[in-house]
Amino acid sequence: MTREPTKTGNHPRKETDMASNAEGPADLRAWLTGCVAQYLRRPETEIDPTVRLADYGLDSVYALALCGDIETHLDMRLSETLVWDYPTVDELAAHLEELVAAQQPAGAR
Amino acid sequence: MTAPARLDDLERLLGDPADDGNPIGNTAVLAADERDEMFAAGERVLDEYCLNAEFVPRRYGGRLAGADDLIQVLRTVFRRDPALGLGYGVSSFISSVNVWASGSPEQARWVAGTLLSNQKIASAYHELAHGNDFSRAEFAARPQAQGGWRLTGRKEVVTNVKRARGLVLLARTDERAGSRSHSQILVDKQAVPARAIRDLTRYPSVGMRGVQLGGIEFTDCPVGDEAVVGRPGQGIETALRSFQLTRTAIPTMLAGVLDSGLRLTLDFAAGRRLYGRSVADQPEVRRLLVDAYLDLLICDSLGLVVSRALHLLPGQTSMYASAVKYLVAKRLMDAMHQLSLVLGAHFYLREGRYGIFQKLLRDLAPAGFGHAARVACLGTMLPQVPLMARRGWVNPDPAGPDLFRIGEELPELPFDRLRVSAGGLDGLVGSLTAAADQIVGDSPEQRRLRLLAGQFRAELGDLAEAGAALHPGDLGVDARVEVLGLPARYATVLAASACLNVWLVRGDGPAWVVAALDRLARSIGRPGADRGDRYREPLYQELAARHADRRSFDLSRRVLPG
Ligand SMILES: Cc1cc2nc3c(=O)[nH]c(=O)nc-3n(C[C@H](O)[C@H](O)[C@H](O)COP(=O)(O)OP(=O)(O)OC[C@H]3O[C@@H](n4cnc5c(N)ncnc54)[C@H](O)[C@@H]3O)c2cc1C
Repeated sequence: MTREPTKTGNHPRKETDMASNAEGPADLRAWLTGCVAQYLRRPETEIDPTVRLADYGLDSVYALALCGDIETHLDMRLSETLVWDYPTVDELAAHLEELVAAQQPAGAR
Repeated sequence: MTAPARLDDLERLLGDPADDGNPIGNTAVLAADERDEMFAAGERVLDEYCLNAEFVPRRYGGRLAGADDLIQVLRTVFRRDPALGLGYGVSSFISSVNVWASGSPEQARWVAGTLLSNQKIASAYHELAHGNDFSRAEFAARPQAQGGWRLTGRKEVVTNVKRARGLVLLARTDERAGSRSHSQILVDKQAVPARAIRDLTRYPSVGMRGVQLGGIEFTDCPVGDEAVVGRPGQGIETALRSFQLTRTAIPTMLAGVLDSGLRLTLDFAAGRRLYGRSVADQPEVRRLLVDAYLDLLICDSLGLVVSRALHLLPGQTSMYASAVKYLVAKRLMDAMHQLSLVLGAHFYLREGRYGIFQKLLRDLAPAGFGHAARVACLGTMLPQVPLMARRGWVNPDPAGPDLFRIGEELPELPFDRLRVSAGGLDGLVGSLTAAADQIVGDSPEQRRLRLLAGQFRAELGDLAEAGAALHPGDLGVDARVEVLGLPARYATVLAASACLNVWLVRGDGPAWVVAALDRLARSIGRPGADRGDRYREPLYQELAARHADRRSFDLSRRVLPG
C-alpha cells in the first residue's frame, strides 16, 4: 500500500491514493495538517492544530471537500458533516483515529 | 385531487389575464404595481384557493406531494403576477421547508396550521451587512441559564416580515466561527412581548414592487427552547439540505414568466404589420422566438427532473439544485431580454396590451440574486467537483426512468434524506450515457442526437480531467473565474441529460430535443449538430400553433383560459 509523503504535504488526488488503515495517530495528524495547509495555500508550519478551520477561512461548503479527501485517503465512508462536527485538526485527527481503530479487526492492533 | 384537476380550478379562478374585464387580469395587476401594493384582489382569490396548502406536506393536512406538481400550480400564479408568486406564496414556502426538514412534529403542526389558515411565515435570513454570506449572520440567540433563549439583532430586506404571523429566523447560537454556530428560530409574532420587536421601514424596490420588503429588530426577546428548529447548531445544515427544494422549485416556477413573455411577444409579432408583412415573418424575429421557446423547454426539463430527483435520488441533489438555480435563472432572464428586443418600444411602455411585459421583466430579476446569487451557487457546487471527478463522472450508474416521467406519482418528499453533499454520486449524469446508448437507428435526427450526446460525454470527460487536477486551494470563495466555469459547464451537461431523457420517455417528435441539445452544446463551445438550424422552422410552426390553440409553451402544453 502506498502512503502519502506527508512531509511534502502532497495532496491525495486519485482514488488509488490510499493510505494504510494501520497508519499511526501522528501520521494522520500530520497528513491532515498538510492537507489543510494545501487548502489554505499556507505552509504547514503555520497551521495550528487547535485553531478552528473556519477561523482560517475553511467555510461550510468548502470544508465538505476536505471530507472527500479524507474518505479517499482512509478508504472509508464518513459522515459528510464530519469536518463541521470536529472543527480543528486535533479534534478531527482524534475522531478519525477512533473510527480507524474501530474498523481494525480484533487482534490486529 | 390530482394535480391537473386542481390546476384547472386555479386557472378558472384566475381567469384570462389578457381580458380587460377580468378583475384579476393584467390591467388590475399593473395598477397594483404602479401603487407599490400587493394585488389585493389576487390575494383574495389565492386565499379562496388556499394556495398555502401547496406548501404543506399531505401528512400535515396540505396538498404537497410531488415537487413537480407544486411547480406547475405555482407557475400558474407566476405566469400572471410574480409579485403574488413571491409575496403571497413562496416566501412562506422558503421558511416552511426548514421546519419540514428539521423541525419537531409540534413545530410542523404549528406551521401547517398557520399556513392552512391563510397566514404567512416569513423567512428572515438576510442582514444587509452580510448578503449571501449568511454564515456570518450576527442576529443572535443567546441561551439563558434558566432555559430558553434571548433574541437580539436585525433582519433586513425580508419579504412579508411585517405582516407575517410567523418568522423563521437564522440566528447565531454560538459565538465561535464554524458550521455548527447557527440555528433557525421559529417565532410566533403574537406570542412574544410586543416591546421586544420593532418593524423597520419598508424598502422600495425596482421590481416586485408590490412585495412588502421590510426589516425587523429584536431586542432581548425571550423565546422558549421549543423555538429552535432541530438541534442548536444545526442551522447551516438545515438550510443547505432543505433549500435544495426551494432553489430547484422557485426558478422552475418562474418559467411561467417566460411563458407569458413568449405569449405577449407572439401576440405582438403576429398582430403587427410592418413593410407590408407581419413582424413574425422576419427571420430574425423567428430566431429570437424559437430560442426563447427552446430555453423554456430546457429550463422546464432540468427543473422538473431535478424536482423529481429530490424524491427519487434525495442524497444526490445538493449539486443539482444549485445547478438549477444557476442555469434556469440565467436562461429565463436572457430569454426575456431577447423577447424585449422583439417588442421594441412596446416593451418600454407601462400601459396598454403589452404593458405587463416590463413588469414581468423587472419581477424576474431577483431570480438571479435572491435566495442565493447564481455565482454563489457555483461556489456551493465547486467543492464537490474533485470528488465528482474521481467518482460520479466516471461510469456512474444511471437513474431509473421514473426520474423523467414528469407528473407521475412520486414517493413523499424525503426531507430527512436530503444531504449536504452528493458524496460523488451522480445518477443524472449516468442517465446521459445510458440515454445516448439508447439512440440507435440511422435517421438524420438519430444521427444528430448521437453526435450531440457524444459532445456532452466529451465535455464530461474534460470536466472530470479538469476537476481531478484542481488544487484544493482553488475551491474556496476566491476561486478563479475559469475554475467556477467547471460547475457552470457541468450544469449545462445536466440540462442536456434532462432534455434527452425527458424526450425519450415522452416520445415527442425530435425537433425540440435536437435543437435544445444543439443550443446547449454551442453554449459551452462545442460544435453542435451539423445543420441543426433545419429544426428551427418546424419549431416556429409548433410555437405558433400552440399560441393559436392557447396552450402553454412549457412541457405540459396545458390549455389556458381565454
Ligand atoms: C425582492 C426581494 C425579496 C427578498 N426576500 C427576502 C426574504 O424573504 N428573506 C431574506 O432573508 N432575504 C430576502 N431578500 C434579500 C436577499 O436574499 C439578498 O438580497 C440576497 O441574498 C443577496 O444579497 P446581495 O444581493 O446583497 O449580495 P452580496 O452577497 O452582497 O453580493 C455582492 C456580490 O458578490 C457576489 N457574491 C456573493 N457571494 C458570492 C460567492 N459565494 N461567490 C462568488 N460571488 C459571490 C454576488 O453575486 C454579488 O455580485 C430579498 C431581496 C429582494 C430584492
